[in-house]
Amino acid sequence: MKLLTRYSRINSIAAIIVLVMASILYYFILRYVLIHQLENTLNVEEAEIISFVKDHGKLPEATNYRDQHTAFEEVAEPVPREYRDFRSRDREHGETKVFRELSFPISTGSKFFRASVTKSEDEMRELVFLIVLITVIVIILLLLFLYLSNRLLLRRLWEPFYRTLENIKAFNLSNKENIQDHKTGTDEFDELNLVTGSMQKRILRDYENLKQFADNASHEMQTPLAILRSKLDLMIQEPGLNESQTRQVQAMYQALARMTKLNQSLLLLTKIENNQFSKTEIFPLDQLVREKLLQFEELAAAQGVEFETELEEIPIRMNHYLADTLLNNLIGNAVRHNKKDGRIIISLREGQFRIANTGVPEALPGEYLYQRFHKGERSEGVGLGLAIVKQICDHHALTIQYSFRSPFHEFRISIP
Amino acid sequence: MKILVIEDEKTLAESILIFLKQEGFICELADHFEKANEKIEVFDYDCILLDINLPGGSGLRLLESLKKNKKGDGVLIISARNSLEDKVQGLQLGADDYLPKPFHLPELAARIHAIIRRKNSGGQNLIQIREMSIDTLGKEVSINHQRVELTRKEYQLLLYFAYNKGRVISKHAIAEHLWGDEMESSVSFDFIYTHVKNLRKKLIQAGCGDYIQSVYGMGYKFQPT
Repeated sequence: MKLLTRYSRINSIAAIIVLVMASILYYFILRYVLIHQLENTLNVEEAEIISFVKDHGKLPEATNYRDQHTAFEEVAEPVPREYRDFRSRDREHGETKVFRELSFPISTGSKFFRASVTKSEDEMRELVFLIVLITVIVIILLLLFLYLSNRLLLRRLWEPFYRTLENIKAFNLSNKENIQDHKTGTDEFDELNLVTGSMQKRILRDYENLKQFADNASHEMQTPLAILRSKLDLMIQEPGLNESQTRQVQAMYQALARMTKLNQSLLLLTKIENNQFSKTEIFPLDQLVREKLLQFEELAAAQGVEFETELEEIPIRMNHYLADTLLNNLIGNAVRHNKKDGRIIISLREGQFRIANTGVPEALPGEYLYQRFHKGERSEGVGLGLAIVKQICDHHALTIQYSFRSPFHEFRISIP
Repeated sequence: MKILVIEDEKTLAESILIFLKQEGFICELADHFEKANEKIEVFDYDCILLDINLPGGSGLRLLESLKKNKKGDGVLIISARNSLEDKVQGLQLGADDYLPKPFHLPELAARIHAIIRRKNSGGQNLIQIREMSIDTLGKEVSINHQRVELTRKEYQLLLYFAYNKGRVISKHAIAEHLWGDEMESSVSFDFIYTHVKNLRKKLIQAGCGDYIQSVYGMGYKFQPT
């Protein structure tokens, strides 16, 4: 549920409760005040009757107006003074009306009377009803207004928050322009932006450091690798190395070659991430593919693997070195992971580069395919080839897809 | 032939010196910027091995001053920063070649030979090894003035051997030389064996001595005796 909805809901419920309770209270207070007023009128009447009796020594005549009556009734002994309500049928309209009556004792000489002054409560009731009605209408209008204004106001008030949210969603390690820093004029949001902004900066800085570290580490590694390699090159010049020593030297060469390759691959990945290959140019991709095919011809032939190609002239905008690496890795993989007398189909047409090769008879696990250091059981590589391929594609906003349609493993790159 | 090795990493420099001295080069070492700068100003070298990251300054600055003073020394950059920019910049500043670390010493020797050959030849681009002559310009090989048809790889291989006479060259070094480091991992050593076998056969058939020796488990040695 949106905060806005939640807020409106709570707000409305609270408003309704408060307003209903207030209306009830209002009703009773109003009623109390009006009845009190009515009683005052009755009291005034009572005083008049008492003063009439005192002055004239006899009862005044009973009156009977539309909504006010006085009446006298002889009683045996004095009655208590009291107010009461009663209903009675209106003689003219035939409606039942509620009356308030004040009865009090009065005496003329030796006779006791119960005097009663009665006044209709109708007017008062009508008034109360009208007032309550108006109040309810006002409440409903108020609620409606509150709801609408809340929606509008809150939407406007919360707008900076949604902007911040959008910004965080769009945050990307390679895009440094997206730092949160807009001013909203609201302290809370400004603080939120300040905090997210500094967090983004910190993330970028940490990432920068990490990249720098990877870069430096890879570079620093080159020198010891160079030393090791040179020492081995010297060592094999020594006469009289025996068979076991020879084998060990070979193993060292092998390990060194792997380490070197690994290091170079990591360095390449870091460099792509660092945007060090931002220079792009337009060149015919088909030509580069042909060059690569020549390069791999010998390797493929040794395994009896045949290339089948269908190359249209397609220009592409890429960094040349990365395009070279991309094809190296893809074609290299297709050759290396092929089977004896296998096939490789390379097609470049309709905005798609496709390379399909025979190989193991089951699909590769798609989710790990481009993960660093993930490699097939039979692979002798360092497990960075496809990670590099993916990185190069991402770098140039190309999409790459893998599919397996027996017996072909296929990689498809769409060229915009 | 005089070589100046500008390299601050002592153990690596030592390997290079040993290897090149065995090759018959006269080598000097400069392990920091100032020393290198002095030596470059005072002496002439046939080839300078230049590391870019030096204590005291960038090797590229040495290269600049070399070219400003119109010195004809050949320059081979050996750098741990295998970056395209460095390479492009170095070559633009007039370096003759660029070799990223880690490299194989036979590769280094071959590159130095190639640079010196280009610098000093003045039209003399023939390598004569007994009955064999290699024309580095026309990329042709003749035995007793008879041309031998070699494939591109076989020619490269022979030249590599010729530049590393009497040295044991590991199969790894050969693979890297022939296929480059991008392909190297795809190459099985059987390829090298095939190429060497074919080269040897062609040379012997043309009347050349059998100079390519296989060093068990290790690699090959070109020993024209």
